[in-house]
Amino acid sequence: MVSSINNNSYEKNIVLLRSAFREYYFKHSKIIEIPERIEEREFGFMLFEAGMIRHLSFRNIGELLATLIKEVPSDVYCSNAYYRFPTYDMHEKQWVGADLIFDIDAKDLHLPCEAMHSYIICANCGEPQEIKADVCIYCKTGKLNHVSIPCNKCNYGLKKEVKHLVDFLISDLGIKEKTISIYFSGNNGYHIHISDIEFHRLDSQARSDIIGYLIGNDMMTESIGIRKAEASSDGFLVKFPKSGMMYGWRRRIAQKLGIDQTSTTKLHNMVQQKGGYSGFKAELLKMAKDIGVRIDPQVTMDVHRIFRMAGTINSKSGLTKIRCNNEIESFDPLNDACLLSDKEVNVEMKVPIKLKLRGQSFKIRKETARIPVYAAVYLICKGLARVN
Amino acid sequence: MVFLLQYIYKLLSTLSIKLGTGDIAKYPFLNEASDYIRETHFDFEEFNRPEMRHIINRAAERMETELISGTIYQKLDKYEVEILTFLVTLMVAKYIGIGLILKKYSLFEAMRAERFLSEDLKKERNEQRKHLLLSKIFEELFKVTVDVDSTDNRLFKVRVTDYLMRASHFHEQEWKLINRLVHMGYVYLDAEETVRLIRSELSTLIYNRVKSMTLSTFPETIKLKADELRVKLVPKYEHSIYRVTGYYPPCIRHALKVMNQGENLPHSARLMLATYMLAIGKSIDDIVILFHNAPDFNEKITRYQVEHLAGTKGSHTKYSVPSCEKLRNENLCFATEECSGIINPSQFGRNSKNYNG
Ligand code: SF4
Ligand SMILES: [Zn+2]
Ligand SMILES: [Zn+2]
Repeated sequence: MVSSINNNSYEKNIVLLRSAFREYYFKHSKIIEIPERIEEREFGFMLFEAGMIRHLSFRNIGELLATLIKEVPSDVYCSNAYYRFPTYDMHEKQWVGADLIFDIDAKDLHLPCEAMHSYIICANCGEPQEIKADVCIYCKTGKLNHVSIPCNKCNYGLKKEVKHLVDFLISDLGIKEKTISIYFSGNNGYHIHISDIEFHRLDSQARSDIIGYLIGNDMMTESIGIRKAEASSDGFLVKFPKSGMMYGWRRRIAQKLGIDQTSTTKLHNMVQQKGGYSGFKAELLKMAKDIGVRIDPQVTMDVHRIFRMAGTINSKSGLTKIRCNNEIESFDPLNDACLLSDKEVNVEMKVPIKLKLRGQSFKIRKETARIPVYAAVYLICKGLARVN
Repeated sequence: MVFLLQYIYKLLSTLSIKLGTGDIAKYPFLNEASDYIRETHFDFEEFNRPEMRHIINRAAERMETELISGTIYQKLDKYEVEILTFLVTLMVAKYIGIGLILKKYSLFEAMRAERFLSEDLKKERNEQRKHLLLSKIFEELFKVTVDVDSTDNRLFKVRVTDYLMRASHFHEQEWKLINRLVHMGYVYLDAEETVRLIRSELSTLIYNRVKSMTLSTFPETIKLKADELRVKLVPKYEHSIYRVTGYYPPCIRHALKVMNQGENLPHSARLMLATYMLAIGKSIDDIVILFHNAPDFNEKITRYQVEHLAGTKGSHTKYSVPSCEKLRNENLCFATEECSGIINPSQFGRNSKNYNG
């Protein structure tokens, strides 16, 4: 997200980013993950100053790496789908299946810390905005972008959500742990890829049903044994379902309500307390939403999407989308995914900033500063600095 | 050692268990039924013999019950009778040659089998026979593995993906995954629910049997019966077929065509059809009839949904016809030149009228 100001510094920004990214692809090619069945995937590049190209295909990782070093895209994408003809138009590609993917993003968690570290930047002139407005107060045009410098609390909240999701995936959906790959997205989120072949064939509608399950949508009182009685709108009957309350959502709800399967009395009283059937129904819907996982539904439903490729740089931050399965507890994105060069460059700051990257604290008050490339790229990508 | 013996014992006992003739009578679409026809060297010309009149009348009765009264045919006879009756119904459907009638008949036959099958699964005490039924029907025909729950043999479990592939296309809320017991990759269902899962595949199977039938000539007796039946059926089915005229915009014409072939329309297309028909002033009853041809038609639900769209039920907001742009995004647009200048299907045809004064 390098703002497109038509002057010298914009050009200079791009030169810096390109050279930093090229060096990364040269030095860190090992981190780039070779997608399974690479020849059946569609690839796409976002190019600096030239937009998106899609429908690319590579037969092996060598071909892809050579192109990355030559073209230096700002972002690299790969389809989660497998196609018979990945380079054809969408309706002629012949879809064979797709990995199941989940996206957990800080924007969906609505964390209270968000407001403390967000900035509004004009997409046209690149100037940060001091006050909330519809258009840029400087150039009077432009779309306003929100950028965020994630903090530890963000990361903690995200990881908690990831673990919550993984619990659902393993204990409910029966997905084998070894087929779950967890990646830091490169900005402020995590991507969870499921390579379990059993799930490949699911169409978008089936995936949407999985999403409903995970986020806690459309839970019926009947599925925990509360039925509407004929006569009045609030009358009800309680009888636990044949298949019991021991597993899955029923267990989660039972736990939350503090009921067990031996007696319906307690549940009966609770429903009564909520004013009967409809009152309890509303309560249950809310409860399920609270217990559910916060994921971006669109990402999972789309079976033709191209998706940021693991091991490549995210141009919203200059950080790498990187696997963190085993180290999820201790994973620190601002350290572990920060892999660009530490040569120093001069930058001009748009706002004063406090930041910790790769173990080093930066407290930049002055208008200009000399900082390592990894920090400079991070701030430029966020739109908070420019090359001097 | 003990394990090995148990294993061998189990193997031997499954080998000795076979489908009974009673099963073949209930499930005449099983491969075993075709084997029977082949092994007895049955010649189709035999249908012209007087002893066969009973079978042919029975076949007609079965089709009338299902296609005219709209109820499932209940009678169940000896397997020899059932296999032949079923065969005759398929030949009659083939001879009549109206896709919609065949679709509807296949669906009813699927529901008939569904009823027998859930009864069998509920009543069968012999676990091996239960497994045999499950494997013959679910696994051999549709590649779905169904297991009996180890702690409660009234419960069946299917892989969550097998479940989703089917149930995510059902419209009722109770079929949403969240309203099911889901544990370690399995969904737990009772007998009826398990069998409901394969309804549409069963009906497709029967449909395809007829489609792939190659017959150079039909026995005279069957032709006669089929002609009789056609006279009774056609008015009923013509009534429910909305004529696809040039009057409708291309998107609607296309959806109607798909619908009339008895194919499943996606939810978005149903919404488009219903809102469009409401917009041009069709009655709710007429619109409900229109959806009759959907393979998963359920009168009550359809009526409720149409009333909801019309704003007479639920939120009391009337839904408008989706814009051309939205329909284009949903791949429902089949624009022709006549569409130029309009942004909503409900405007179709109006412009030209204006030009002509
Ligand atoms: S342009 Fe509009 S009216 Fe014409 S086919 Fe497409 S959606 Fe229908
Ligand atoms: Zn501006
Ligand atoms: Zn934060």
